Amino acid sequence: MKTVICILSVLLIALSCSKGDMHESVEEDNPEISLQIPAGFPALNGSVAENRPTKYGVELGEKLFHEKRFSGNNTISCASCHNPSLAFSDGKQQAVGIYERVGLRNTPAVQNMAFMKFYNWDGNILQLEKQPLVPIITHEEMNSSILEVIGKIGVDADYKKLFQKAFGDASITADRIYRSIAQYEYTLISANSKYDRVIRNEGERLTAEEERGYTTFKSKCASCHGTELFTDQSFRNVGFPLNPNPEEAGRGRVTGRHADQMAFRVPSLRNAAYTAPYGSFGQFPTLRSVLDYFDKGVLEAENLDPILKENGNRIPLSEQEKQDIIAFIETLSDPTFLGK
Amino acid sequence: MKKLTNYLILSAVSLTMISCSKNDNNSVANNISLHFNNTFKNNTIVLGGVSNDATVNTSEMGQVHHLSELKYVVSNIRLVKADGTEIPYNVNDLDKGATVVNQAKPASLDYVLTNIPVGEYRQLKFGLGVKQEINTVDQVKFPAFYAAAGANDTDMMWQWATGYRFTKIEGFYGAENNAFKIHTGSTLNGTSGQPETYTQGVDAYRDITLDLTTTALVGNNAPKITIKANLDKLLSGKEKVALTAKNATTPSQHSSMEAMEIFVNNIGGNGKDDKSGMFSVESVENN
Repeated sequence: MKTVICILSVLLIALSCSKGDMHESVEEDNPEISLQIPAGFPALNGSVAENRPTKYGVELGEKLFHEKRFSGNNTISCASCHNPSLAFSDGKQQAVGIYERVGLRNTPAVQNMAFMKFYNWDGNILQLEKQPLVPIITHEEMNSSILEVIGKIGVDADYKKLFQKAFGDASITADRIYRSIAQYEYTLISANSKYDRVIRNEGERLTAEEERGYTTFKSKCASCHGTELFTDQSFRNVGFPLNPNPEEAGRGRVTGRHADQMAFRVPSLRNAAYTAPYGSFGQFPTLRSVLDYFDKGVLEAENLDPILKENGNRIPLSEQEKQDIIAFIETLSDPTFLGK
Repeated sequence: MKKLTNYLILSAVSLTMISCSKNDNNSVANNISLHFNNTFKNNTIVLGGVSNDATVNTSEMGQVHHLSELKYVVSNIRLVKADGTEIPYNVNDLDKGATVVNQAKPASLDYVLTNIPVGEYRQLKFGLGVKQEINTVDQVKFPAFYAAAGANDTDMMWQWATGYRFTKIEGFYGAENNAFKIHTGSTLNGTSGQPETYTQGVDAYRDITLDLTTTALVGNNAPKITIKANLDKLLSGKEKVALTAKNATTPSQHSSMEAMEIFVNNIGGNGKDDKSGMFSVESVENN
């Protein structure tokens, strides 16, 4: 009997040793992924430094991004609305979630998130790690809860392995779910459009039409759609048709400031050709319809953007200018980003 | 035999004495129960739909109104002893120290604070809403409160703000019986009550301080404190409000959150010179 105990304890010690060794080697094999920051892009969101993407963190985040068990009835994943082949948008006016429930707003594209200071149409989220919980618990989106999600994926051996690889042990926690999804999203950088290659002098040139469009764009659009993200990340009321849902207040819902009433984050125009329809609730089916609306005149509002107010509540555009601007916006399409 | 009887009596007496003294030693703590009496002025509110027996109130601006739904979150409860010592009651644990008062559920109108140290208490403090540090809908940390707040008939969550709704007051106003929906909650990024730390958002949490009408004696007694929440203040508090299509739904496309803050200040106080809002202590019973 004594011998048995001795053998057992030796075995146990040996086991625990080997487990410890494994642990170490796992961490060594999970290197940080260095984010390729495109020239001219704004600074990284400060949260990235607190949650550096790692090889397995990103792999786990991507798997979770496509995980339909996030939803109450296992039908909706993040990717259901943030479809990689549409630059992580969904082609619908307003997001459609569980049981075909229609959400309040148009699904925003997930791209260049590491460089954004504000997330969502109203900028209610400032750290990407705080976003994944929102769709999980929202009635119109996934209608689940984080413990329900952990309960479902916790029985999956593949996940246990991935959490182990990504975080050093197999425990599946809410925080790790949020962090790995954010890590994955930080790597979704789109900067390989024709426009980018022209700017980088890689041998391509804009056509005459695109060139004219770029010139008009700089004088009539870039005061909002500025920087290399093609958004200055400001919130503006541009007098778009109003969402009939009484709960919509735009950024006013977040800040409580009257000046932010019905103001929305200026959307990035990168990959805009893939992300129709446009507007906070998909008011506009095409880029052309957006330009026509600005040309015709927008809705009056007390807090209408000053640039529009100064110009008689419109952005006058000729037929030629509209065609040219659209041609230019199409140069912001990055086909290598699709299906990532 | 007599001797035996004597012994028996003696032991009985000593036993009694022991049990008595034991009882005294044991009374290091007892309960305090809070009862919430939701009123329009002095009338306890009866909820109702468009046409029935609901309690009707008339605001100072002459607007008739009644409620169909009335819920609010009470948390961060503290009891202040006569000597000024503050006894916090599970202030960082929503499962053990917070409750949703729901006029439609009589049981929710009573909330028992257990294991309160023996003493004389002269003041009650609590939060209307959830303080910023723990105002995230964190199911892992506080599963019980999450379930209570998120229940379908309660729905005290603002999913988009990943925070809790602090109050949900709905009803009808005016001769036309138009619906109103006043929902409040914080959208804050920063530290509650410290505007210099706010990066964005609205602070809808209010700290309430109420002097007790009579000292609450916790010992062998388990006092009952009745708190009156006079919903008349909603429209007739520090700021007089008339409900219109523009502010009757908050937050909304018409009202932003500015209207919400007016309602929050009316019922929860402004956090500065008004620390009671609609709340007052109606009675303290030291049974």
